[in-house]
Amino acid sequence: MNFRKRTIGMLGIATAVLLATSACSGGLLGGGGGTSTDSGPIKIGMIVPTSGSSAPTGASMANGAKMAVDEINKAGGVLNGRMLELQIADGACDAQQAVASANKLVSSGVVISVGGYCSGATLPTLPIFNKAGIPMIIPAANSQDLVKEGLKNVFLINGTGLQQSTAALKFIKKQGYKSVALVDDNTSYSVDITTETAKQIEADGAAKVVLKTSVNAGESDYSSVVRDIIGSNADLLYWTGYYQEGGLIIDQLKKAGYTGHIMVADGSADPTLATIAGPAAEGVFATMTPTPNTIKGAEGWIADYKKAFGDDPKPYSTQSYDAVRLAAAAFKAAGNTKTDDVIKALEGIKDFKAFSGPLSFTPEHTLANGGFVILVMKNGDFQLFDDLQ
Amino acid sequence: MDQVTQVIWDGLFVGSFYALIALGYSMVYGIIKLLNFAHGDIYMVGAFIGYAILTSLGGTFQALGLFALIVVMMISMLLTGTIGVIVEKLAYKPLRGAPRLAVLITAVGASFALEYGVSAIASPNPRGFPVRLDGDFVLVLGARVTLPQIILMLIAGVLMFALDLYIRRTSTGRAMRSISLDMKGSLLMGVNVNKVISRTFFIGSALAGAAGVMAGAYYGKIDFLMGFIIGLKAFTAAVIGGIGNIRGAMLGGLVLGLVESIGSQLVGGQWRDAFAFAVLILFLTLRPTGILGERVTERV
Repeated sequence: MNFRKRTIGMLGIATAVLLATSACSGGLLGGGGGTSTDSGPIKIGMIVPTSGSSAPTGASMANGAKMAVDEINKAGGVLNGRMLELQIADGACDAQQAVASANKLVSSGVVISVGGYCSGATLPTLPIFNKAGIPMIIPAANSQDLVKEGLKNVFLINGTGLQQSTAALKFIKKQGYKSVALVDDNTSYSVDITTETAKQIEADGAAKVVLKTSVNAGESDYSSVVRDIIGSNADLLYWTGYYQEGGLIIDQLKKAGYTGHIMVADGSADPTLATIAGPAAEGVFATMTPTPNTIKGAEGWIADYKKAFGDDPKPYSTQSYDAVRLAAAAFKAAGNTKTDDVIKALEGIKDFKAFSGPLSFTPEHTLANGGFVILVMKNGDFQLFDDLQ
Repeated sequence: MDQVTQVIWDGLFVGSFYALIALGYSMVYGIIKLLNFAHGDIYMVGAFIGYAILTSLGGTFQALGLFALIVVMMISMLLTGTIGVIVEKLAYKPLRGAPRLAVLITAVGASFALEYGVSAIASPNPRGFPVRLDGDFVLVLGARVTLPQIILMLIAGVLMFALDLYIRRTSTGRAMRSISLDMKGSLLMGVNVNKVISRTFFIGSALAGAAGVMAGAYYGKIDFLMGFIIGLKAFTAAVIGGIGNIRGAMLGGLVLGLVESIGSQLVGGQWRDAFAFAVLILFLTLRPTGILGERVTERV
């Protein structure tokens, strides 16, 4: 008897829960239009790697976004005093994990996404956010594939692989390199740049691609690619993968007697490159979007960041900071958080004051100004070498 | 000609790392038929212990260079050996009678626990190793051979030789061999099975720890996922050599290093792993027991 009573009680609770969830799910199912309530905090979603080998960058991106959210909230929020609420989810630089996180963010009711570091992990999240009507301001991921489909909700605020390749070619011609070796790490972002650079170099004709190959990430010994590079007699190596492998390859190249120059793409433009490669990293060039250290007038921002998080900002901290500010500006311009209005507002953004310079979007939703500069490694840190203007 | 000797030398050098780690896989498999997937991570832990000791002892000690490194390697071996025994006691021993699949899963679990434990303690940032082995090269038959490479291969060689002697000449070694033949029988003959298994884990893990410190000093970078791929490669090496066979593991490591090196030279760097593992598949279809493995009749 007692037992039966309890069962009935539990059934009652279960029904109540069911009713409650079905009442809520009206919002979830109806969320296809990307609308949400007009009061309460505005939820901003951010997928960055907080585990796996890119976790350090993910953490500093999250910090940059947090900083912008705090500043905006302290100044009274947006849309009549509504606060911003940042929700960070782990993308782990892994497609499956990122998709799971995107679904989680969508069901928790975010109205805009400001994350995306690894292109390979960001790509599969596009249709999820698109279907849910959530605009995406992608701070770091910059593969051409992200905008290839022309999804209306996707905006890139980092220069794309195409823009990076153009900058690389400009520098190659300026320095007069004749034979270039292109090495990537087989990830979508990295292959994008080598392929595009190879295309542009061949079309231009001023230099020649003497080697184009890939390595597998996550190993320690890169003697085979080192042999290939030296055997190709390249006077410039352009490495487009991340710094972990980049540092090892640079160190092993120098030890094996390579005398040509080395340039890395933005994924390796991190001071950690020098801790890994040691003295061999000195003089390495990098194609990079402006970072806190290379932007004039960012000293105050760096100090604030250090005070808040006890760590130096990393390359994509500024872009993440700008992504949140850009989102807030779009809400203000739109006057609400409705998908179509926010997208229209973002398309209409003109010369928004971002770290990378005045920001506006092309019809493809990429940066109107690529903003890539050339950095050089000096005393263990990257400094501005040539702004390519 | 230069290119050929260089390819062979590079292959042998990487192969000696594979061999050192493969030994741990092979010993453990030989004795309790367990694929200890946490073994690659012990290598990583070894590198981090070496890093921690070197950083805490400071610059004057680091200035001793190779000597400091050998001392640190010894300490690191002791500690990783102990960690290996702890992992065995916590994760494997309670499951000794359980189905093999269950133990395999706890091994995967132990591997993740070590990886993300280190990541939580030491932060996921990659670190530069405080002592680096740099040195000039000499040309040997056209191949660039550096002093650190020779030293590291010598250390690896000495460790493997000592292990071989230990297994063949001591009573514990004999006990290990007898357990691998028949655990129940050994137990009945009065062999302290648990103690010998612990010792096996200790030795295997100590060797992996030594390899970790050596890799840190040579390649200059350590991070919490560094044990994953090399662990898989070492496992492959153990299988090529005939898993369970100690000399086979050493040989397998060198063979895998050579196959990778030659393969990437022949078909291009991005095909290195595809080539190496294609060779592995071919090899195992033709000779499933590995190079030195013996055909064992299945006992019921």
